[in-house]
Amino acid sequence: MGTDLATAAQVVVSGLLLGGLYALLAGGLTLVFGVMRVINLAHGELLMLGAYVACLLFAATGLNPIVALLVSIPVLFVVGAVTQRFVVNRVVNAPLLTSLLLTYGLSLVVTGTAQAVWTNDYRSVPFITGGFALGEVSISRPRLLAFAVSLVLTGAAHVFLTRTRWGKAMRATAQNADVALACGIDIDRARMLAFGIASALAGAAGTLVSFLYSVYPEMGRAFMLKAFAVIVLGGLGSFPGALIGAMILGVVEAGAAYLSTTQIAEAVIYIMLLAMLLVRPHGLLGTAER
Amino acid sequence: MIGALPVAIGVAAVACGGEAATPAAPASGGAAAPKGAPIKVGASVSTTGSNGKTGLYQVEAYKLWIDQVNARGGLLGRPVEMIILDDESDPTIGTKLYEKLINEDKVDLVMGPYSSSVTQAVSTVTEKYKFPMLAAGASASDIWKRNYKYIFGVYSVAESYFYSVIDIAKAAGMQTVAIVNEDTVFPKATAAGTAEYVRKQGLRIVFQEQYPAKATDLSSLITKVKAAKPDVLVGGSYQPDSILLTRQAKELDLNVKLLAFSVGAAIPEFGTGLGKDADFVMGPSMWEPVLKTKGNVEFVETYTKKWNREPDYHSATGFAGGQILEAAVAKAKSLDREKIREALSSLDIETVLPGRYKVDDTGTQTAHIAVVIQWQGKEKPVIAPDSMANGKPKLPTPEWKARP
Repeated sequence: MGTDLATAAQVVVSGLLLGGLYALLAGGLTLVFGVMRVINLAHGELLMLGAYVACLLFAATGLNPIVALLVSIPVLFVVGAVTQRFVVNRVVNAPLLTSLLLTYGLSLVVTGTAQAVWTNDYRSVPFITGGFALGEVSISRPRLLAFAVSLVLTGAAHVFLTRTRWGKAMRATAQNADVALACGIDIDRARMLAFGIASALAGAAGTLVSFLYSVYPEMGRAFMLKAFAVIVLGGLGSFPGALIGAMILGVVEAGAAYLSTTQIAEAVIYIMLLAMLLVRPHGLLGTAER
Repeated sequence: MIGALPVAIGVAAVACGGEAATPAAPASGGAAAPKGAPIKVGASVSTTGSNGKTGLYQVEAYKLWIDQVNARGGLLGRPVEMIILDDESDPTIGTKLYEKLINEDKVDLVMGPYSSSVTQAVSTVTEKYKFPMLAAGASASDIWKRNYKYIFGVYSVAESYFYSVIDIAKAAGMQTVAIVNEDTVFPKATAAGTAEYVRKQGLRIVFQEQYPAKATDLSSLITKVKAAKPDVLVGGSYQPDSILLTRQAKELDLNVKLLAFSVGAAIPEFGTGLGKDADFVMGPSMWEPVLKTKGNVEFVETYTKKWNREPDYHSATGFAGGQILEAAVAKAKSLDREKIREALSSLDIETVLPGRYKVDDTGTQTAHIAVVIQWQGKEKPVIAPDSMANGKPKLPTPEWKARP
């Protein structure tokens, strides 16, 4: 019995650790959707770029991937802001399909370029490994570290959005761009900033993934479907929703994988997604479209 | 909505069509320079997508072989050029590309693609057009269970990959085995064959489960393996999942006496990606650079010179595929594909691979010998079979806690 409880605790812990990372990735996705009603299909590629920043720096100088965040966050912020300013901003008011096609195209271009420049080699960052025991539960050191950093960054982004002037400008733009403009908010800049922050969050997630998983040009795809599931669950456009959605998804995924198999766990995620869309299409914390 | 978007675009890039080897200038060894219209050999190999990394080794080997064939005077005195396309690791694209190679590019001969999944799919096309094909990048035995006449194995079938590893485990007194594998053709075949062999050897399987390709977290799986307390854990796995399984085994303190992976372990990046955590891990290898097989030293030397990196066993199987095709054409003395098919079914030759090339009447490879390597420090000596070993197995694997 004690063992069963320990196993259950083990599965929940593994799930939560996974959820922290999903939250960081999904946070950016939901922010971009909230502020400019664009579903960024290239979000996973931003994660991939963040992972390469860490990986290449580690290979060249042995730089600690956590320190590499100081590089990947600003680099990806600039990449995101520039992409928004010159490419994505053109489709902000266009029908949803236009921005989907644009960002899907972007994702192909970025993946293809990465394949050409960095080849398809799987790279790894042998940084922090192993785990420690907490009672009968084993806790992964690298995943705990990634989880903690994810929560700090997600929290920081949340504080920025709710407490600062620019954060408020971004939320005003999200609520109603026309009224925000009428109130004197530079909505183009707010959107650029939002996209930059979202990219920086994805880049940070990538840097954290670099020492958990293999780094390769198509790695973004493996994470993107999870991120979409998270934001549908939490509510499109809701930042706290993404956090809660990510934790639920992580635990459900780990639990289903334990009770059945990892293959079935993937199916369970999509069934959950469909059920959510049927029962509560705006997600847990999203607001219903008028 | 999102999931419905097309994930792959069915556009194949010509990876190297234009730069196929030019007939070499007067070759060394007195061979006459090839003359006449070039013989076209077509292949599609995954150089992008999930298997792109390993596929690239095969492409490099094909190109090296073409260079050397032309330097030797070509096939039947004619120069050879190769058209290599990229199937993006997608079996459906692979079948389209072989249709294209045969019908549009009008190739004279074909070589096999990379991965069992793609090979299984495209062999339906080559069978239809009666093109004999050497499966230089495939080993799932299902490929040879369909009574096809035109597909020939180059190396051991996937089912037998772990035979020697299980022998080692048994000899060391281990009794229980857990098997996990990715749910695609080749790893599934590896797992099925291993399970059967484990039972035959009188060991017990205490856990067996599959996981999806591209899995990014296998902690629940590892938790279950840990509860089953096996002596041995074998993974039917590729590079990223082999590394992920090893990392998560350490994180969750899963201790087994013997850990082995089918494809992931033998490649150099397994060692560089895991550092000292790679130690004690075993893996079957179809070929190793240290083996004293026929022409191996020269192969490693010329390959490293041409591509600035050491060949991997996928390079060697690709190169051996070329060597076999060359021998078959020489034996058939023509490009008649029926004669080449007959030659391939009866050939018995040495290649750079350990053992020989010889197939049974289904086309299954029967004479190749898979070796076993074990990571020890930064080296991965061959530890079995004894006749080819240059190291001794270190067992049992110590617990993670007891390791530096």
